[in-house]
Amino acid sequence: MGIQNLLWQVTKKAFTGGIIGVTISDRCCSVVPVRGDSMSPTLNPQRNSYLDDYVLVEKFCLQDYKFVRGDVVVFSSPTHFKDKYIKRIVGLPGEWISSSRDVIRVPEGHCWVEGDNKASSLDSRTFGPIPLGLIRGRVTSVVWPPQRVSKIS
Amino acid sequence: MHVAENHILEKAILDMGIQTLIWQVTKKAFTGGIIGLTISDRFCSVVPVRGDSMSPTFNPQRDSYLDDYVLVDKFCLKDYKFARGDVVVFSSPSHYKERYIKRIVGIPGEWISSTEDVIRVPEGHCWVEGDNKASSLDSRTFGPIPLGLIQGRVTRVVWPPQRLRKLGG
Repeated sequence: MGIQNLLWQVTKKAFTGGIIGVTISDRCCSVVPVRGDSMSPTLNPQRNSYLDDYVLVEKFCLQDYKFVRGDVVVFSSPTHFKDKYIKRIVGLPGEWISSSRDVIRVPEGHCWVEGDNKASSLDSRTFGPIPLGLIRGRVTSVVWPPQRVSKIS
Repeated sequence: MHVAENHILEKAILDMGIQTLIWQVTKKAFTGGIIGLTISDRFCSVVPVRGDSMSPTFNPQRDSYLDDYVLVDKFCLKDYKFARGDVVVFSSPSHYKERYIKRIVGIPGEWISSTEDVIRVPEGHCWVEGDNKASSLDSRTFGPIPLGLIQGRVTRVVWPPQRLRKLGG
């Protein structure tokens, strides 16, 4: 009976801990790996995936924050909603962006994102401005590997 | 003197008991709150319907005291393939802090006839319209919306009690 009680206590604690972890990950911050080199050299300056950067993504920005030019954000792809990309905001609503041939105005409620490594980045130059509602969080710092720990400006 | 010491001792034990009780209640309330948040984010939540853009499916009367409350299912965000006819909650493409409730009438790859031309719904997007076309701000105004903006699928009306029912389809 003592062991049953112990197991039940442990299960309860584990369950509560899991739920709290999920809530923190959804609403406060989480750590995600960066895949690909579209944000080189800011993120993943080498091409070796064993050394992929892990970054801290904060979610408080989804409540009250006004996004600014230069923020690195995680967002759902407008063409494949289950994929998530990490890119930098280079255009805010109302601004004009010069694309390859014409000048585009960023519509209200949208933003223009581009990767730092323009040669190898699938971004707004391909799929156009993205609604701010697709943004899932803001990258604040690199947390792994240890020698690359730094805040992202 | 003996009795006075006993009183002080009893009072000290009682105080500790009340402190422990308050701590226990706070812990339970906090845990309950966190679990409630997680359920609301990932499983389902109840939201009020504002406006009459989905009349007569929702809010057939114009009186806001009788606004419908609907159950929004969030499991669909993991694996579900959105289908024509689903009523969904999504972030507005032009004002991302506002949320709308409309019906999906076009899925990726389909052709929608708009006022003047025929539009193809792009990959990863959907065309939404309100059931009350005369009074609805929807894709006819802001175009097809990326599926990533969808925050849940409406499955049933839960309030007022006489309008309780599952949504078809």
